[in-house]
Amino acid sequence: MTREAWVLGAASNRFGKMKESGREAASRVALEAIDTAGLAPKDIGYTFVANAFGLAERQAHVGPLINTALGIPEVPSCTIESACSSSSAALHEAFVHVAGGFLDAALVVGVEKLSHLDTLTATSYFTIGADYPFESHNGATFPGLYATIANAHMKRYGTRPEQLGSVAVKNHLNAALNPHAHFQKPITMETYLGSPVIASPLRLYDCCPFSDGAAALVVVAGERYPNPRTEPLVIKASTRAGSIADMHDRPDLTSLPASQRAAEAAFRQAHVERSQVDFMEVHDCFTIAELVALEDMGFFAPGEAGKATADGITARDGKLPVNPSGGLKAKGHPVSATGASQVVEVFEQFNGTAGARQVPKTNLALAHNVGATGSSASIHIFGRR
Amino acid sequence: MTATWGLRCPRCGQFDLVEFALSGKGVVAAFTLQNVPADEFVNDAPYAYVLVDLDEGGRISGWMPTVKSDGDLAMGDRVHWVVSYKPGVQFEKDATASVASGR
Ligand SMILES: [Zn+2]
Repeated sequence: MTREAWVLGAASNRFGKMKESGREAASRVALEAIDTAGLAPKDIGYTFVANAFGLAERQAHVGPLINTALGIPEVPSCTIESACSSSSAALHEAFVHVAGGFLDAALVVGVEKLSHLDTLTATSYFTIGADYPFESHNGATFPGLYATIANAHMKRYGTRPEQLGSVAVKNHLNAALNPHAHFQKPITMETYLGSPVIASPLRLYDCCPFSDGAAALVVVAGERYPNPRTEPLVIKASTRAGSIADMHDRPDLTSLPASQRAAEAAFRQAHVERSQVDFMEVHDCFTIAELVALEDMGFFAPGEAGKATADGITARDGKLPVNPSGGLKAKGHPVSATGASQVVEVFEQFNGTAGARQVPKTNLALAHNVGATGSSASIHIFGRR
Repeated sequence: MTATWGLRCPRCGQFDLVEFALSGKGVVAAFTLQNVPADEFVNDAPYAYVLVDLDEGGRISGWMPTVKSDGDLAMGDRVHWVVSYKPGVQFEKDATASVASGR
């Protein structure tokens, strides 16, 4: 029934502060991804856009603007919204259409521009992604919501600030080697521990920055492209799952059920074991989120990921490299570009173009992307032809 | 038990939901001191965002403008709901037993 779907091209701009508008950045990375794939815009059958906070630019319905800019105004498009997991949700839609035989080639574009807003406005915009009347209207911000996860995790498992710090130090070290990254400077544990508390116990360096950015992917049916000019990512699994929307209604604060569900489904779909995964990009909007993700997906027992990170297991040269790109934490988190940009990293690693941050083994990789506080999650597993 | 708007139970899907009055009393399950607030709370920062396990069961989000440092609150502290003109569900720490009995 289904056929093999590949990511044949991928591109990202440098995250941080974009001078140009979201539509311009999105169109540029889209064209670069199409070029990388060795395709022309007219080969695209559908454009799936992710742009959750487009209204911050007073612009909705950005798909037709991108397609018009690419010279393919006749191609259909739509915007997929799933908070911080919007572009992995868009990738899932592309996968479903291509694997299901409805499209031969699809474009996935994620873009966000928020840097023209001040911190207060941006923080307030983001709270719209939580349960606004029942969480945000009680003073919760996203750092605040993840802080309560950290608070519960520390109490239950004895997770220490230095373990959270080791996530930040590792990811900043990786981002220093990533030309797409918002922050390209390593930090020390002293810097981490000395940074101001945003929402206790989370410090400034526990939090991802507000970033602008754009990333694009070209998804094709493998059977239609017998001689690919790149090393394509074979999509072995594309799964999504949900959780009870409100954290306060979930039985356990120390895990995100959507990540657990999506991971179980993904490993079933891909017919691979966790031990076969060579490296991964995981959703580290806050340092605690990386630890919880690794535990939820079954790579470490609950409460063990902090120690493993401090021991260097998830470092770029460790046994299981996690976030070689620098992650959301240091590469940056332009909400709707994040999921696609994780796949850009996998693509560059598979194609040997990751430069100094190249990881040793690249046969099987996983990308994990979360919407809000885990009310949505996406997991993709990629292999080689 | 759910502390958001819904038509079915989010845990088991059961549909015969019953609304009941709460005493507004409970225990802090987790909290954070919000130094960087959202716009509606900007005049009250820092404050605590709290998850409270209610005496009648269930857990609810709320906030505590009187909590100004991490040391002012601990998991397990007893809190109660207070009427306020400010947004959201506002909690305060219970007075200690000795103080309460002295009144
Ligand atoms: Zn129920």
